[in-house]
Amino acid sequence: MIVNMRFSLILFAVSGALAQDAAPTRADWLHYGGTQFSWRYSSLDQINTANVKSLTPVWIFQTGDYAENLQATPIVMDGVMYLITARARVFALDAATGREIWRYQYPEPPRSTPGFVGNRGVAVGAGKVFFGTKDNNMVALDQKTGHLLWRVNIDDARQCGCNITAAPLVVKDKVIIGGTGGDGAHRGYLTAFYTSTGRLAWRWYVIPGPGEKGHETWKGDSWRFGGGAPWLTGSYDPALNLVYWGTGNAAADFYDGDRVPAGADKTQDLNLYTASVVALDADNGKLRWHHQEVPDDQWDYDSAYEVLLMDRPIRGRLRQILVHMNKSGLTSVLDRATGEFLGAFSVPEVRTWISGVTEDGKLVGRNEPQIGKTTTICPSAAGAKSWNSMAYSPRTGFLYVPVNEMCNDITPNNRAPEEGRNYMNGEFPLKLAEGRTTFSHVDAWDPVTGKRAWSTPYRYVLLASMLATGGDLVFTGNPEGEFFALDAKSGNKLWSYQTGAGHRGASVSYSVNGKQYIGTATGWHVSVVGSAVQNLFPDQDWRLGSTLVTFALPEGPR
Amino acid sequence: MKRKPVLWRWFGSGLVRLSAAVCGLALCGSAQNLEDTVKQGEQVFAQSCATGYCHGVRGNAGGAPRLAARGLEQAYIAGVVTRGIPDTGMPSFAARLSRPDLVAVVAYVATLNGITDPNLGGSGPPATARSRPALTGEAVRGARLFTDAVRGFGRCSTCHEVGSFGIPVAAPIGNVPASVAALKALATPNVRTGSEAGESMPALVLSEGKQNTVFYDLSATPPVLRNAAPGSVKFVDGSNWHHTAAIGAYDDAELAAILTYLRAVIQP
Repeated sequence: MIVNMRFSLILFAVSGALAQDAAPTRADWLHYGGTQFSWRYSSLDQINTANVKSLTPVWIFQTGDYAENLQATPIVMDGVMYLITARARVFALDAATGREIWRYQYPEPPRSTPGFVGNRGVAVGAGKVFFGTKDNNMVALDQKTGHLLWRVNIDDARQCGCNITAAPLVVKDKVIIGGTGGDGAHRGYLTAFYTSTGRLAWRWYVIPGPGEKGHETWKGDSWRFGGGAPWLTGSYDPALNLVYWGTGNAAADFYDGDRVPAGADKTQDLNLYTASVVALDADNGKLRWHHQEVPDDQWDYDSAYEVLLMDRPIRGRLRQILVHMNKSGLTSVLDRATGEFLGAFSVPEVRTWISGVTEDGKLVGRNEPQIGKTTTICPSAAGAKSWNSMAYSPRTGFLYVPVNEMCNDITPNNRAPEEGRNYMNGEFPLKLAEGRTTFSHVDAWDPVTGKRAWSTPYRYVLLASMLATGGDLVFTGNPEGEFFALDAKSGNKLWSYQTGAGHRGASVSYSVNGKQYIGTATGWHVSVVGSAVQNLFPDQDWRLGSTLVTFALPEGPR
Repeated sequence: MKRKPVLWRWFGSGLVRLSAAVCGLALCGSAQNLEDTVKQGEQVFAQSCATGYCHGVRGNAGGAPRLAARGLEQAYIAGVVTRGIPDTGMPSFAARLSRPDLVAVVAYVATLNGITDPNLGGSGPPATARSRPALTGEAVRGARLFTDAVRGFGRCSTCHEVGSFGIPVAAPIGNVPASVAALKALATPNVRTGSEAGESMPALVLSEGKQNTVFYDLSATPPVLRNAAPGSVKFVDGSNWHHTAAIGAYDDAELAAILTYLRAVIQP
């Protein structure tokens, strides 16, 4: 039976959230997503709906690296904040004052190195600070001193056309990292290294090689350059010992003639394991299960995004679930132990790529770009949500999502792949969804019912991550430089502050000596999505920068 | 159906007539040559510059800046295409495009900026030494095998940089072994044995200074560059590491092809 994005789960009366104790952050912000469950939720509640109007900046740190926007999620451990800039300049700061403790500057790769300048965060663990680089090095610094301890060169960017921009994930004695290259003629992978020595622990290729299960979903030799690069950061469930990661789109992005056999059934998995969420054994990288969200992706709808792990009652039974959104805004709810599909919902208001999904998660009414034609596809390849993360609050049970309403006019071509070169195979100028006056909104979605609880519109676009807190607040920033707090229950705006530069990064909450802080990365830039979006609003001049701004409540009686 | 780009239609025959009138043939080439070159450049642009989140259709901006109608001069265009722009997504195309393609794409972008008679000779991008050399037959196969991504970390380029591809862990290859047997018998006296906290490892030592000791740990591939405190790792000459263990991803015929490639590009 076909349903039009109707969520098939039975609404269950939730009497208080039953999420894991380990998922919210407390004093520290230890991982990219807050904890390895990736909620971006801090249980701190000193700053709350009643007093947020008094929130005041307490320190500002200028990184001095204006090569790109500041996209990183800071890590905070034991009162020290670890921050990385676009060109891999790493800082350890006193999280209460902003005082610099140490700095490390990664040697800049040769100017001819292809790919992106940008870095979305460090990982901290085992007494080390880990990060990836444009020239595909995995680097480990001494957490106390910032001295280089080891580095491993994973790939040659000149050949693969790939880079590392994501934050690594530390899991037990290993550090795991993905890479870019989903839009190039490249075969994506995840690589795990031992934190102690830097030696290779395991490598998992998104695309199975000859003889491996799933290889048969690729036509001819297309698997060699089929993309799928997992270019963001995954999650980890220690009880199941499973690592969860979203994978990138199949390449070529907009043309499937080289990679999908003629007459293939598109309700079945195709081009595995691209556009999927996968569960890997943390010890050896072996695939345990997968769920492909977009078989034969022809819209550049990466599934590379964050994976939120939570326990919620579904049909009367407490289930270990994961929630995962891909670029299309289609959001899957799965049993994270088995991969069983439990439901899906779609967040953008304008959608033309499919007409709906079936109750078992199959796409219906695929509107595929055709050679020789131009097809308007919504949402855009920049994403119903961009790479920036959503947040989840166990107090409200809502996901907080920045949603953008844009489209592409896609004209595909059938150019042959060349290793490491762009392999999108299409022109796809970005445009605003028609007939609207606002082009984004912050939404609250209930992952159990698949219903939107509230939505707060914004006239431009939203390209910064969300932060939810125990004070029932939701924080994010916009391109105009405004950093703001919404009431987590209603979406009403309670506070805002003009930081002076557009927001493209993330905000975190932590405490030092019992005092709660909110820190946010600021700084727009004009390459890639930032520029493409700004072109849609030619009267706007969103300001560049690379600054960490931190807020707290004023001292003294309130 | 291929749509004719708007700007090309606009320049079209007018461009050719104007340039033919202004240029002497010896300086600017024939009008037909110019038209063909710009057309070639248009194709290169569509494949390498308009793609992805970059400069958009006919340079009208995508994720990267608009290039059309910006008043850009040809010399500037050539410089940026050749060298890239540091700290941005704009790479150098010197090693990524053939020289004719470089000249053509520069000419095309020049026409997008109203330059009706782009120079196809003198001011084009310089030839580059970093391009892959022209190879034939077995050497082509060897070049492909040398960097073959399917071999994962078992490929030669995990440790060797040749022809501007690969990771320069080892020193540049100076002498190419005469045969596969010689390659397999290769001695590696520069690999030493390091010991640290009771564990030993094959090590390629780069420097032993007062501040730190820098070496590659060759215990596993890819090699790990270590930056250790002085004295924390003790080294002795010799090791049980042998190059033959690092080339197991290839059979003898493949190794022979790789040697053919190396002989073609490395001057003893």
